[in-house]
Amino acid sequence: MSVRYGGLSRAEPSLGDKLIHLNWGLVLLILATASVGFAMLYSAANGDLNPWATRQMARLGVGMVAMFIVAMIDLRFWLRLAYPAYAAGLLLLAAVEFMGSIGMGAQRWLDLGFFQLQPSEVMKVGLVMALARYFHGIELEDIGRISYLLIPIAMILAPAAMVLRQPDLGTAMVVVMIGGAMFWLAGVRLWMFAAVAVAVVAAIPVGWQTLHGYQRQRILTFMNPESDPLGSGYHIMQSKIALGSGGVFGKGFLQGTQSHLNFLPEKQTDFIFTMLAEEFGLLGGLATLGLYLLLVAYGIAISLRCRSQFGRLLALGITTSFFLYLFINVAMVMGLLPVVGVPLPLISYGGTAMLTVLIGFGLLMSVSLHRDTYINRRGGSN
Amino acid sequence: MVAQDDERQATLERARTRLLIGGAVFTACFLAVGLRLADLGLLRQEQDVRALQSREVVGQIKTQRADIVDRQGELLATNLVTASLFANPRRVPDPAAAALKLASVLPEFSAAELTAKLSADRAFVWLKRNLTPRQQFEINRLGIPGLDFEREEQRVYPHGALTAHVVGFTGIDNEGLVGIEKSFDATLAGGGEALQLSLDLRVQYILRKELSEQIERFSAIGGGGLVIDADTGEIVAMVSLPDFDPNSANEADDDARFNRISLGVYELGSVFKIFNHAMALDSGITSMKGGYDASKPIRVARFTINDFHGENRWLSVPEIFMYSSNVGSAKMALHAGGEMQRDFLSDLGFLERTSVELPEQGKPIYPAPWREISTMTISYGHGIAVSPMHLASATAAMVNGGLLHSPTLIKRSPSDPVLGKRVISRDTSDSMRRLMRLVVENENGTGGNAAAPGYVVGGKTGTAEKQVDGRYKTKALVSSFVGVFPSQAPRYVVVVMLDEPKGIKESYGYATAGWTAAPVVSRVISQAAPLLGVAPVDEDAPEIQRALALSLYSRVRTVAAN
Repeated sequence: MSVRYGGLSRAEPSLGDKLIHLNWGLVLLILATASVGFAMLYSAANGDLNPWATRQMARLGVGMVAMFIVAMIDLRFWLRLAYPAYAAGLLLLAAVEFMGSIGMGAQRWLDLGFFQLQPSEVMKVGLVMALARYFHGIELEDIGRISYLLIPIAMILAPAAMVLRQPDLGTAMVVVMIGGAMFWLAGVRLWMFAAVAVAVVAAIPVGWQTLHGYQRQRILTFMNPESDPLGSGYHIMQSKIALGSGGVFGKGFLQGTQSHLNFLPEKQTDFIFTMLAEEFGLLGGLATLGLYLLLVAYGIAISLRCRSQFGRLLALGITTSFFLYLFINVAMVMGLLPVVGVPLPLISYGGTAMLTVLIGFGLLMSVSLHRDTYINRRGGSN
Repeated sequence: MVAQDDERQATLERARTRLLIGGAVFTACFLAVGLRLADLGLLRQEQDVRALQSREVVGQIKTQRADIVDRQGELLATNLVTASLFANPRRVPDPAAAALKLASVLPEFSAAELTAKLSADRAFVWLKRNLTPRQQFEINRLGIPGLDFEREEQRVYPHGALTAHVVGFTGIDNEGLVGIEKSFDATLAGGGEALQLSLDLRVQYILRKELSEQIERFSAIGGGGLVIDADTGEIVAMVSLPDFDPNSANEADDDARFNRISLGVYELGSVFKIFNHAMALDSGITSMKGGYDASKPIRVARFTINDFHGENRWLSVPEIFMYSSNVGSAKMALHAGGEMQRDFLSDLGFLERTSVELPEQGKPIYPAPWREISTMTISYGHGIAVSPMHLASATAAMVNGGLLHSPTLIKRSPSDPVLGKRVISRDTSDSMRRLMRLVVENENGTGGNAAAPGYVVGGKTGTAEKQVDGRYKTKALVSSFVGVFPSQAPRYVVVVMLDEPKGIKESYGYATAGWTAAPVVSRVISQAAPLLGVAPVDEDAPEIQRALALSLYSRVRTVAAN
């Protein structure tokens, strides 16, 4: 082993070698988590594989293939692709402005005929790649200089602003948080975060004015859902009741009354964790959280062992965005955060989300496979 | 070089620290959701379920404005959550194109109108309030930027016109404008429990149906009626016709919106003899055995007081009531004196607005100064104008044992003490019951058409000529009947009034109260009494006869009721 991983510029390993050294543990974890999703989708359809479970399985199959392909490709290729991917994401977001279809008052989807694409999902991967490449490309010392941070700040704010215009406050905030996390992990000085925090607090009154009525309502309802149990607080209240009604061991598979009697909204997407906790109880919920914890730990471990700054940041960024999604979703259904339309990664029904999560894991595996590859600032080896 | 390496080392060190902190934050977040899950699963469940269920049990959707229900809990006014469309014209990129698209969904607007609204230099303009769900969906599909929806509540009256004059209606911003909606605006706007009225929707329906049929039959220009609980003053039904649909109140004309029961004041005619007799009997100036000479009309200055059903002889007190003699009544009033009459009517609340919970309240019109001629005409209900609401509540006091209750539209809770103001003695009230029964029961009475077998109806007719521009119009009558049932122990008072009924063949050309208003009272009582829990009795049963026996003390013949 010491021979294999000793040199910085060893020869490119063969495809077979790569396949052997894939993170099969990670693959197993992904499959396990996705299987929990299948079970829940089967239950959400009242014990039927249709309409959700089979399609979700097909998507996982396609996504896994994509994941393996992405994992096999050399990390340097992904570094070179970072900016184009980011640009493509921006273009898609712009496209949604002009030809996106409208769902419930917001433009979020691009209809590609066979597939409804949510460009904000694509953008999240693109942003992580682009920021990783940017910080990889500058001297470590330069990270402390404001002038070097203007470009990445713009890289975060441009997509965030476009997502906000759709309008999708939740996703816009996630984009900003992913960017912020990457800044943090890249080593940007603490006082800059403090300055941004002060600016954000100062901007809250102004921002409140520009929020849509329903967005304000959601935040107000979040503050006190019991004030409006059959209005906007309905989802949260019902979700909390369902979560609680499972008790320690749950009501049993297919037995969740809150979910099956349709008290629970969007049970196959945003509120799927609630249904899980109702049917499998506290233990089931904790076990699922455990799976996620392992997935996140895997991501951090991969980044720790990577020698290139790009790989390190890419792995961390993808892990962070994965974590943010699952945390926001779980905290939302528990009433710890306002209701924002964020799916539970790998489990919620949804094509784009599944595909981007798996491509993200593909990148993570690529980082893992190429952790010892030396990459110079411009993306070449030496 | 060394310094640079040091800094490099420090930077790497920092990156590692950052990663550790990040990992710690992740772990803390996991811990937080894990603990929350345990918290919800093990501890918090009960209270949330209760918070939700307590509301579901009542069946109320929490809305801003409280519902209004009848005494049975039937919904009279509630809210519908709707969406209203507004625009920020500054954010509408192409007003003309947007207006064209919008007009296809909202055909009531022309594209030009909408273009004007959408190109206004303002940040907010209402386009349409209270859209239908379909309209909202269609507008969403148009995808016009700068448009948005506001969640609103629309007041809805499920029974439409049936309770229009009582419940009233609200304006576009849900502020009470008329009726209970206005008088309880602050309470209702505060939300909370439904406001329960004293109305009984079933009786309300019967009253409105019978009244409107009679109005049609006699080509009256309008009418009104109410049923009031004689012992509590609770109004069980109250109808003013023509009426309107409060769901589209702005389309109603002024006449339909006019509340003839509480806002309208009328010279009600002979029904006032009830109070004239009660006054005379209660003050002791005469008794049931007394009488007055009604052989000749009374001439005072340019006025002549005549009897409509002229007997032209001395009449006993019961006869004056039964034949509805104006001459006898006027003489009785003169005997009592103007001051006593004025005080008595004032005690009964006839000289001021009633205290019923409606903003639409008419102020009575009475003469000032109170001359002798006024005393005479007021004895038979001319020269004083009051609302039918006044008539009902005062009549209740005449037959319930002598206690006056303020009329109310709010359901009394059984635990509330029933406080009344004594206005006549129990004995006088007892005589009044017998007198009113006589009017319906006796073959010579004017109110025979009000009889409802089994319910022992008593009452008094009143036919008054309407004063138009200071002159009485012989052809324009206000025909009213005030009925009570059951006479042996009255529980409800029914007032029916028809505005300008015209005589028809079946009534031999008459438009008087006995032919027009009395039959409505009969029909309302025979349908409503079972619903109000009044059991029919055998009217010829000895105990009923004893309770209502009355000697006419006629000097012509004696008609004993048994």
